[in-house]
Amino acid sequence: MRGSYKTWIGLEIHLHLKTDSKMFCSCPARYGDEANRNVCPVCMGYPGALPRLNERAMELGYLMARALNCRLSAKTFFARKNYFYPDMPKNYQISQFEDPVGTEGFILADLGEVGERSIRIHDVHLEEDAGKMIHAGDVSLLDFNRAGYPLLEVVTEPDLYSGEETEAFLRDFQRLVRRLGVSDGNMEEGSMKCDANISINPEGKGLGTKVELKNMNSPRFVRLALNYETARQAAMLKDGGTIIQETRLWNENRDVTETMRRKETSDDYRYFPEPDIPPFVPDEAFFSRIEKGLVELPLALKKRLVAEYGLTPDLADFIRDDEAVARLFEETVSLGSSPRDVAAWLSSDVRKVLNREGRGLAGSPLTAARFHELLSLIAEGSISGKIAKGVLDRVFQDGEDPAAIVKAEGWAQITDTGQIAEFVDRVLEANPQVAEAVRTGDMRQRGWLMGQIMRLSEGKASPEMAQRILDKKLLDE
Amino acid sequence: MNSYKEQWLAVLRNKTQCRAYEARVRELDAPIGSFLSFHLDPPPGSNNPPGALSGIPLAVKDNIAVRGRPLTCGSRILENFQCPYTASAVEKLMSAGARIAGKTNLDEFGMGSSNENSALGETVNPWNHNKVPGGSSGGSAAAVAAGFVPLALGSDTGGSVRQPANFCGVYGLKPTYGTVSRYGLTAYASSLEVIGLFSRDIALMEEAFTIMRGFDPRDQSSINPQEPPVGGKKAAVLKVDGGALDGAVSDACKTAAERLGAEGYEFSAVQLPSLKYVVPAYYTIAAAEASANLARYNGMRYGYAPDYAENPRELMKKARHEGFGPEVKLRILLGTYVLRSGFQEQYYGRAQKIRTLIRRELDALFKDYNFILMPVFPTQAFSRGGADMDDYQQRLADVFTSLANLAGNPALAVPTGMAKGLPAGVQLMAPHFAEARLFQAAGELSKHFSPPSPEGSLDIRGLA
Repeated sequence: MRGSYKTWIGLEIHLHLKTDSKMFCSCPARYGDEANRNVCPVCMGYPGALPRLNERAMELGYLMARALNCRLSAKTFFARKNYFYPDMPKNYQISQFEDPVGTEGFILADLGEVGERSIRIHDVHLEEDAGKMIHAGDVSLLDFNRAGYPLLEVVTEPDLYSGEETEAFLRDFQRLVRRLGVSDGNMEEGSMKCDANISINPEGKGLGTKVELKNMNSPRFVRLALNYETARQAAMLKDGGTIIQETRLWNENRDVTETMRRKETSDDYRYFPEPDIPPFVPDEAFFSRIEKGLVELPLALKKRLVAEYGLTPDLADFIRDDEAVARLFEETVSLGSSPRDVAAWLSSDVRKVLNREGRGLAGSPLTAARFHELLSLIAEGSISGKIAKGVLDRVFQDGEDPAAIVKAEGWAQITDTGQIAEFVDRVLEANPQVAEAVRTGDMRQRGWLMGQIMRLSEGKASPEMAQRILDKKLLDE
Repeated sequence: MNSYKEQWLAVLRNKTQCRAYEARVRELDAPIGSFLSFHLDPPPGSNNPPGALSGIPLAVKDNIAVRGRPLTCGSRILENFQCPYTASAVEKLMSAGARIAGKTNLDEFGMGSSNENSALGETVNPWNHNKVPGGSSGGSAAAVAAGFVPLALGSDTGGSVRQPANFCGVYGLKPTYGTVSRYGLTAYASSLEVIGLFSRDIALMEEAFTIMRGFDPRDQSSINPQEPPVGGKKAAVLKVDGGALDGAVSDACKTAAERLGAEGYEFSAVQLPSLKYVVPAYYTIAAAEASANLARYNGMRYGYAPDYAENPRELMKKARHEGFGPEVKLRILLGTYVLRSGFQEQYYGRAQKIRTLIRRELDALFKDYNFILMPVFPTQAFSRGGADMDDYQQRLADVFTSLANLAGNPALAVPTGMAKGLPAGVQLMAPHFAEARLFQAAGELSKHFSPPSPEGSLDIRGLA
């Protein structure tokens, strides 16, 4: 029966913007501080305190709206969204309702196996976050550090049709916000949140009843929750039941969605224009800063990595997935290194070192200059690939330049024919039977002999030269 | 003779004088009740250069923030709240040398025109203790009228400075919206209100106003004053339906027009066709904004909280139920009602349209006239306990004052005489940023009449 139903999914994505201070006051917007440290009369909603707009948050909001191809508001307003909640200091949220930062956009998204699709964006608007209420036994604790954090909400149209597509979309969206520097986009840490609206109906009947899903703390959970919900609703419809409009929470311990609240009537937030904040009218300088911030988007980057540098799509994905990796790749290539070599090293040896040290590439000692120097040493034949791995380790450990490490350690490759011939002779003399076996056609033993030669030279003999000399000696004699 | 300001500067120079002053004010204020808390700041240290207001005691309406003092807003819900910061306007006056004397009584959160809606005490009119001092800044008006302070701050949302000034016989200024920072003024109706001033001396008031105005980065709706068009000697007097005003009030308007005529002003009678919509529009907008502004008082972070609650929701409910008085609850309910989705256009949207209309009508008048003379309130100070005016009549009577709040214009209440033992006076309204014209005209009127003092007032010269 599954095939006879169609699923529509629309998302409400909340991003914590990467600003130093909160949306309407100068308190630091910082995670992990002691509770109720980063608060002031403004973000605590004291009598008489007034909000003042964080212009950086406005820039990031407009940048995101621009990247999502939205119609940008020439004049944007804030509104009060009224509702009571213990962790909301003013019991209204300063948000945007009419004339938000951006409306009617779209983004060409990489949906993995289904390929690329344009997803329509309903609107992009700015608002402030609330505090946090923690229930501990029979007491409830309130932490207002997060109250007033700048939030950007991106609302999509229902253009996604499955849990798998939605997961892929969210991963692509994360790449986008990180590349733009708008947000960390981390769902596990809460700098990105995603609520999903799902509606299913028999094919050809249009949208069904909307159910809202919350509490999914990773793109994977979003997929699981949507797939669970698709199956649940399809089964209900098949049995002749009706879907109730409600909000459901994903329970990640039980892998099910559960009713949170039923909505008989829609909430009335009594929006009205925020009298404390005059309309924001960006000037030309503001818009030119936005254009400057508009870097190449992840999908365009991937296409360029494949077309311009001949990378495989998988390698291209690997490079663009991490902003620091993408930057190091481009910088190193621009210094003259081979794109394929740079990509190969980044995806294997560099990644191994990073995993082992449990760190990211951002701020690491492996600068583009050092990386290029290392790859040049290999290309010139000054060191072997094997030695290069050791040099890479040392770059991370000591933060020194590869050439200096090679020199200090005497790791330069031996390219002197006489010297290498001497290693070959010594190995052949020590293993006459093996040499004889190779001569009579057992080529498997040839590799073993090479290994002995490299070991004798402490890995420094040029492998190509050693191979050539060995072959010559075995064949000639 | 020394100016009023100089009389004040001559005293309060040493500890003995200050103690005598404090004791005298406490004694004289006991029957009047203008202050909710009273304690004079110490004189500025000797290394502080003397400012324009050096040594002048300042009373502050208790909905304006002063660090380390209460900020009750006349409400149970903030009865024990100690304020951790100071309002920008107060800071400016303090850095010019003003010393905070105390916090004055008001109708709860500024909602009322009699001071009878204060949950924390009753203030009476210094001229006649059976009459109200007006409101909501009744405490500040009474304190200035009784000579306790030469200068006081109030807030004017719909007439809350001008009406009590008028009732108590002192000058009361509502500045142009945005020219004085609202940072630190407890919000009631954010788009209407502004911090204003009381004084018995127009020169001192102008000096204080010049100090406290100007853009403040902490209030993004604040603005620097712009140059108003040059005013001439043409003035308008608002035509009001006969019978709408008490005799003493219409007499005051006549007298003022005559005196100003003697100073060279030429008056023409004008009408404001939209005047009848002012009160409904004003109450709709004020209540709507109040319903959001007062949502923050929920017993969670500060202020009154019940002894026991089953859960956070119940805690908020109880705190608000027990903490707010009936007038505040009424306006919150009204505001919530007019903002309901589906009804916004009918109420809030229409009120905003009326607001635009009124502003256009006034702008058109100010193309021809320097200022408009009109009443402050249809009556003189009314009796306590609702004997001559019920709540509904009191609201309707806000028409002449709330006009300036809807349109954002500056307006000044000017005392012009006494009638039936009570002060009478008029209101002058000017185009945006033209406060100077109001001070000019009031200065000219003061040649003809200077406000007397009620019995039981403090004569500061007696302390020198």
